[in-house]
Amino acid sequence: MMDLVFGLLYIFIFPGFLFLFSYALFLAFLDRKIAARMQQRVGPPFFQPFADFIKMLGKEVIDPAGVDKAIFDAAPLVALAAVMTAYLYVPIIGKSPLAFQGDLVVVLYLLSLPTIVLFLLGWLSRNIFSAIGGIRAVTQLFIYEVPFFLALLTPALMAGTWSISEIVSWQQKNMWFIFLQPIGFVVALIGLQAKLERTPFDIPEAETELVAGPWTELTGRRLAIMDLTIDMSFVVGSALVAALFLGGPLLPWAVTPAWLEGCIGFLLFLAKTLVVLLILSSIKVATGRIRIDQLNDIGWKYIASASIVQVGIVLVMNYLWVYS
Amino acid sequence: MPEVVVSIGPHHPALKEPVNFKVIADGEKIVRLELDLSYNHRGIEKAAEQRDFVRVLPLMERVCGICSHSHSTVFVKGIEEIMQLEVPPRAQYIRTIIAELERMHSHLLWLGVAAHVIGFNTLFMWTWRDREAVQDTVEEMSGNRVHYGMNEVGGVRRDLTPAQVTAALDRLPNLEERIKKYVDMVNSEETMLIRFRGVGKLSKHEALRYGTVGPTARASGIDYDIRKDDPYLAYADAPWNVVTDTNGDVYGRTRVRIGELQESLRIVRYCLENLPEGPIRITAPRNAPTGEILSRYEAPRGELVHFIRTNGTDKVERVDIRTPTLANWTSVAMCLVNQNLADIPVIVAAIDPCLSCTSRITLLDDRKKKTGVITFDELVRRNRSLHDEKGQT
Amino acid sequence: MSVLREMFENLLSRPITILYPKEKVPIPEAFRGRVAIIDEKCIGCSKCSLVCPARAITMIEGPREVEFKGKTLARKKRPQVKLYKCIRCSLCERHCPTGAIYLKNELSSSGTDGEIVVT
Repeated sequence: MMDLVFGLLYIFIFPGFLFLFSYALFLAFLDRKIAARMQQRVGPPFFQPFADFIKMLGKEVIDPAGVDKAIFDAAPLVALAAVMTAYLYVPIIGKSPLAFQGDLVVVLYLLSLPTIVLFLLGWLSRNIFSAIGGIRAVTQLFIYEVPFFLALLTPALMAGTWSISEIVSWQQKNMWFIFLQPIGFVVALIGLQAKLERTPFDIPEAETELVAGPWTELTGRRLAIMDLTIDMSFVVGSALVAALFLGGPLLPWAVTPAWLEGCIGFLLFLAKTLVVLLILSSIKVATGRIRIDQLNDIGWKYIASASIVQVGIVLVMNYLWVYS
Repeated sequence: MPEVVVSIGPHHPALKEPVNFKVIADGEKIVRLELDLSYNHRGIEKAAEQRDFVRVLPLMERVCGICSHSHSTVFVKGIEEIMQLEVPPRAQYIRTIIAELERMHSHLLWLGVAAHVIGFNTLFMWTWRDREAVQDTVEEMSGNRVHYGMNEVGGVRRDLTPAQVTAALDRLPNLEERIKKYVDMVNSEETMLIRFRGVGKLSKHEALRYGTVGPTARASGIDYDIRKDDPYLAYADAPWNVVTDTNGDVYGRTRVRIGELQESLRIVRYCLENLPEGPIRITAPRNAPTGEILSRYEAPRGELVHFIRTNGTDKVERVDIRTPTLANWTSVAMCLVNQNLADIPVIVAAIDPCLSCTSRITLLDDRKKKTGVITFDELVRRNRSLHDEKGQT
Repeated sequence: MSVLREMFENLLSRPITILYPKEKVPIPEAFRGRVAIIDEKCIGCSKCSLVCPARAITMIEGPREVEFKGKTLARKKRPQVKLYKCIRCSLCERHCPTGAIYLKNELSSSGTDGEIVVT
């Protein structure tokens, strides 16, 4: 019975959905503040993303003529549900209580649902800008998904398990994967930036070319929910990278009282996701947008080959370790 | 994929002013472009016929916000030449200082806009921060950040005090350093290079054929700058060079504009340090003698031409404005064919369009409820038939 | 790379935004702000009304005695400026023979009442 109560508390309050909601808005604020300070501007106050969310919920929902309202209402919710489900398997204060073998694959699959939803919305808004934006979103998905998946599966290859929580425990006994697989870390960060559609990969939403791509016809609460989905994907994505490469919420040695381990783990989680945020914000500020055909070039020539090289290195290292 | 019409404008986040591009695209490649200007027509040429030479100058200034001093100076230059007035040298130097400061602020603004168009908002924020130094200088000298109101027929409206000159000279070294940093940035920043290189290429032959002017033409290797070919104001005294480039694409135009920034800074420094003493204006007569003149000026965007006809009264009979943006639109329409859809804003921004200056005529057919444009041959034919009706030659 | 270095230098220093209205923007002396008229100097010549490009100045009744170049004149009219039609070009200040109408360097002078006048 207590297990059930603790389980529900874990899922919904802390470190569950309520924490995810507030942390997503906090990271969105930090991202905008850091970008602003780098450009010598002031930046928004800390409650700005929350205020934007509340404001958007109250705005009028405009349906273009001939558009299927039911899908437009349901699709953002599907994307949000996918990301929130993916969050439950990522270790926050220690191992996730819902962990099972293969949850890494489930998380990666759920994280690509928002892009498919964006394509669907772009195709269904009967307007040329959204259609082109939706096509670009899916093209970008094809280009970065292969290297991103490969880079995130190499830790699983080396640790010999398909569960994120067990990969984190493996790193506690041995070494963080950022030292063992630096190429994979770089490719994972690039893939994460492309998944979240941030500069230099914000091609689907290019404001100066196609009004807002697939986001054009989203208004009111639909826009609020899609924005929240992207913010939450940021949290899940950076938590995933922190868990797989930076050792997650565990110190390199075991700490005895379980509650102390939980607290320290939580602080480590915050610190590591903030490091990932700093790197991603710097990339966003320092670059401009590239074209989709140039992304095609760079993606297949350099990023995909880097990830394949990384897989090759991991296989060789595994072989040598098994033999020695 | 079949051909689709992607209509960019009249309302679009990429455009600062309304213009209608009907782009006919096949997938991501552009097949054809149909252009519709004239959403910003305000009737300034007609309004200028009803204002005397004192009241018409603020109107001429407000043709454009960014190149306002250009329009005002070229008009005043033309009127002074018809009246055969000898403007004192101190006034010419002050006009030159304001003109070059305007060129600097316009090019810094353009650099920010070009960076914003490719999503590189950091450079946008930084260039506009440095532009504030130029705006502060102009505000101290003339009282306003745009629409300076410095010209009047016969000279300049306001004088420069020694304190203003010193303050302006103090701001220049910092600005020079920042401009050097932008030169480095443009030549080495990866995303800018891959978005700008090879985009919108215009060979020298094509640029001459389509009548491009200004930095767009100078980037294709054409050495055409009115300040050197037909000197006016103080440009014959100050030491400076014309900046050309052989690339011919958007990257070349960026390099030309940043080079012009450095040259303008040299001219401003020279004029501020060597300001001659003397009066700042002479009294002009009230009426202008009969005459026609074509007055040319190098605005930040290219060659600006005013055709003025006077008839002995205190108002002009006809003023016709040909702005540089109008001359450059043909090159945009031609070099957009076979480019990517994502390059439209880049190529359009590379000619530095100022649509307020450009709006010419459009034909409205009220019965058929259509709008359209008129070709040059049709215009000549209609004009000729009108003359034949009135029995004139 | 110069961009990266500058980015991190900016991150650790103050922003350059002037937090108006808490901090004040420095206004130069020559700034063209709100129109003002000194009644004692005006001789009622109507030059300001004739040169205003926006036709913002009309002459209204205002008889009084004024001093001009050592003589006492009996003027009949004085100017009235529609404040929000004025385009701040300062042609009136340039052509006024006595300096009675001029532009102050007040920065905040916008509003919504279209009929406010300065006399």
